[in-house]
Amino acid sequence: MSNNPFLKSDEPTRRRFMATAAGTFLGVHLGPVAGPMVAAAAPLKVPEGKAKHVIYLFMAGGMSHLDTFDPKPKKKEVMGKTTAIASNVDDVMVGHYLPETAKVMDKVCVINSMNSTQGAHEQGSYIMHTSYGLRGTIKHPSLGSWVTKLGGRIHPELPGFVAIDSSPELTGGGFFGAKYAAAPIGSPDEGLKDSHRGTEVSEEDFKRRLSLADKLNRQFHGRYPNADVKAYEELYREAVALMNSEDLKAFDIRKESGATRRMYGDGRFAQGCLLARRLVEHGVRFVEVQLGGWDTHYDNFTGVEGRCKQFDRAYAALLTDLEKCGKLKDTLVVVATEFGRTPEIKEEHNGGRDHHPSAFSCLLAGGGVKGGVKHGLTDSSGRKVKSGAVTVQDFNATIAYGLGLPYDKVLMSPTRRPFSIADEGKPVKELFG
Amino acid sequence: MTGCGLLLSGLVVFAGLSGRAAGEVDPGSLKKHALEIDRQVAEFYRSRKLSVPEVADDATFLRRAFLVAIGRIPSSEEALFFLEIEDAGKREQLVDYLLKSPGFSSHMSNWAFDLVRVVDRNRGRSHNLPYRHWVREAMADNMPWDEFTTHLLAAEGNGWDPATAAVGYYTRDKGMPLDNLSNSMRIFLGTRMECAQCHDDPFGDTERFDFYQLAAFTHGQGFMAEGLLRPLYQEVRDARMERPQENRAMEVLWDQVIGMSLDGGGSGSISLPGDYQYRDGDPGEVVGARTPFGRTVRMSPRRSEHDGRRKLADWVVHRTDAQFAEVIANRMWKRVMGKGLYEPVDDYKPAAQSPHPRMMALLASIMVDLDYDLKAFQHTLLLTRTFQFATNPEVSKVEAGDDFHGRKIQRLSAEQIWDSLVTLAVGDPDGKPRRGLDTRIHVGNRPVLVGTKDMVQLSREVLALKTREEMRAYFDEFVRATGDSRQNPRGRNEMAVMSSGGPSYGRGAMVRASELPSPAPRDHFLYLFGASDREVVEAASREPNVGQVLSLMNGVVQDKLVNDPDAHLYKCLEGAGSAEERIRRLYISILNRPPNEREMEWMTDELDARGGQGIRNVVAALVMSSEFLFLQ
Repeated sequence: MSNNPFLKSDEPTRRRFMATAAGTFLGVHLGPVAGPMVAAAAPLKVPEGKAKHVIYLFMAGGMSHLDTFDPKPKKKEVMGKTTAIASNVDDVMVGHYLPETAKVMDKVCVINSMNSTQGAHEQGSYIMHTSYGLRGTIKHPSLGSWVTKLGGRIHPELPGFVAIDSSPELTGGGFFGAKYAAAPIGSPDEGLKDSHRGTEVSEEDFKRRLSLADKLNRQFHGRYPNADVKAYEELYREAVALMNSEDLKAFDIRKESGATRRMYGDGRFAQGCLLARRLVEHGVRFVEVQLGGWDTHYDNFTGVEGRCKQFDRAYAALLTDLEKCGKLKDTLVVVATEFGRTPEIKEEHNGGRDHHPSAFSCLLAGGGVKGGVKHGLTDSSGRKVKSGAVTVQDFNATIAYGLGLPYDKVLMSPTRRPFSIADEGKPVKELFG
Repeated sequence: MTGCGLLLSGLVVFAGLSGRAAGEVDPGSLKKHALEIDRQVAEFYRSRKLSVPEVADDATFLRRAFLVAIGRIPSSEEALFFLEIEDAGKREQLVDYLLKSPGFSSHMSNWAFDLVRVVDRNRGRSHNLPYRHWVREAMADNMPWDEFTTHLLAAEGNGWDPATAAVGYYTRDKGMPLDNLSNSMRIFLGTRMECAQCHDDPFGDTERFDFYQLAAFTHGQGFMAEGLLRPLYQEVRDARMERPQENRAMEVLWDQVIGMSLDGGGSGSISLPGDYQYRDGDPGEVVGARTPFGRTVRMSPRRSEHDGRRKLADWVVHRTDAQFAEVIANRMWKRVMGKGLYEPVDDYKPAAQSPHPRMMALLASIMVDLDYDLKAFQHTLLLTRTFQFATNPEVSKVEAGDDFHGRKIQRLSAEQIWDSLVTLAVGDPDGKPRRGLDTRIHVGNRPVLVGTKDMVQLSREVLALKTREEMRAYFDEFVRATGDSRQNPRGRNEMAVMSSGGPSYGRGAMVRASELPSPAPRDHFLYLFGASDREVVEAASREPNVGQVLSLMNGVVQDKLVNDPDAHLYKCLEGAGSAEERIRRLYISILNRPPNEREMEWMTDELDARGGQGIRNVVAALVMSSEFLFLQ
């Protein structure tokens, strides 16, 4: 593998070459047709993984596994107000807040045996995103940054990694630097904000501004050869390429039909899922969409019901829609969270559930994953993992494996410390078929 | 104020401020402390046989002092005045001026909001606005840090009453008292106990048992008068379809009065959790409060006591040896100097184990000597020569800490960038009134009883009721009084109450970040540049991303500044005849320094080529420059 110059980790070199080549020889921008062609040249073809893209739906706050994907119908004292309903797969049941999701479980692999060592939000969501514990001395790259670094971008101008409604601390490039950080989207309706030149500014003036700023930045960078200063200098080039891209329309969900938009439902998360599908179709490698508010210490059942209203229809629509447009087979759709919730229901907190990292559930679908499958078991009250334990690192290794990426490849940080996408995690290969 | 009057207005700005004391603290003692710090630093250089760094030039000092002390760049007027006067004492006078600016507390509020996680709204119908207001006022009054800490940790009572609004520190975390406690330890003592919430810490010496003993101090965080209202609440709630108006009235009493109160003062005992796994206790066993280090404070599980939170506050502030003082001194050092003596600042290292033991001990003793007056402490640091050291382009030689080799270059915080842009767009933002607190009673979305009764009075009345019968009678009367909007007194009284509350700034307002909704909405400039979502302690980020650059090129910066002919910045050009003079003024306004020769050439070429449009291009380029985004 190392003999092939195309398989090196530093994707931008190749991409810069492609862009230059297109600019110089063809005299045209790499348009939407060129996107897939570039993708074919990308270093993806490691035999096992079929997926090219990831849509990573992060349930921030700690999604209750008991009220969603690991219900315990025989244990009334554990279930509280939640009941389990049948899905379209015989032995898979889900919480009654998820009627639409129940209809697509044949496409989904439920991992009920997730467990984490981290029981606080900051640490828990950090380790899910990076495979490493939170430290004061180093920032680890986020999963999306790793995937972009190892697999390269697919589209030369669109960002490799986009984060919708997410937090910059969890979607940063870490020691890979700013060019691997997610392009952030605050509002799915608005798409990538400020990606068009204002009407008041002519193209000539815009170029002149950039050229002046570039001179100033080089001067400043010459005085302070600092990584962050350099990052901004490079981001300007990146941003301009993006603004000029034919495929900028990938960010515009207003281009979708009313029927499609309604299918996903209202709300930021739903529309974020729709945007994620559009971005993946146009060649974005990794899209993260966050749905917050799962921290249901207080009145868990009302809380979960509210969250599921946001999640249920959107998730079912996303899988159905991806399948319809032919992208489900190469898009790994992940549902992740930092931990589950306790089987105990705290009456003094109006029926609340506390954090529970020792057993929780995550989902995989698409991208070659077997559907209608459950992996791993928890005990009768969902407190402990009984079999098939999957650690956070195993989970991330499984995602990398699904993408055909070298999950055990070690890259060095600038401080010469070794890191890999899933730390020591091992993929659960039997989930793919 | 026009460009022609810069010098004159500058004189007005600075007039009478030089030589006076900051607050009530004796300026002589601040200088004495500053000198002690500088001696300590000099000693460090001598011992390492290193040469002492140069002092930064006036322009660098000016920009640094403004951004560090009050979180924004100087206005054109302020910049020009400072750069043009020749007075040996002008740096000291500038520091004095900055600490008297309302901008100081604005900048401190952002820091406090990030640290104690102040958000405007909770999920559900209760909110934290009175608490936010309380923290903002505490910063404006420069409340000493020990007092602030005690108010938060020992809080109890009515969330609307200004005397007890600090209860928001706990009610903000309704249902998660253990997380709240972990955060308290991290914020005030730099002790990390998150791990011990669920298991013995494999890397430290904190055991889960210790954590629960500590949690016992704060245990029992109920709502006031909840039992008195609950039956009636259930009754109204169950019939909410038939009794919508009563249901709306109930939301006021249940969510906004009772739901924003904090009952009891901490019971001093707690049950071990159901999954307790060690031999030193059994699941469900009741344990009494006991502090894990410092001078031990205990409470008995058998006695019924109600002052656990007060005892905890007293222990944190007075019985943890130097830890409380060292932690806040190090936090302030980082705030002013850029790097903590040790980092992370919330992972405490006793002075003896820190990279600079004598300096750490000195800073803690100054903090105590100044009675935890954070303004005076920062004043001291700002007066040091160490603060004035020239920028060092190298990374710190001490991993994640200060190496004293000159200031490290660092990107500005989201709030510093925003507040600086606001300064350019609308001029000095510190004359505007602070965000107010709306104390009107809202039934549904409709303000009621305006001019007659507000939330403070209503909540006091409700929380003073003694029986369910009284509660029911009060509720019936409240429903009757607020039922018919035509009966509500309107007119002059309404204005009176609203104006006493102060303005409420929406997300689009061009005001200081401290006055905007908290946290910043996810599509706001502030969030894009890494403002904290205030869910976890100090979660702000300075990481670059492509969205930030797009925003500088095409977004709010263009709309509100570059392309807006009415932007305050352009006023500095009035009366400037030559192209050189215009460029010089733009440089001083935006980068707070005159242009060098090469830059002057680039920019005059631009004006020659593009005329009036060229001015905008220069402004755009300066704001897009890294120099604008970084602190030197």
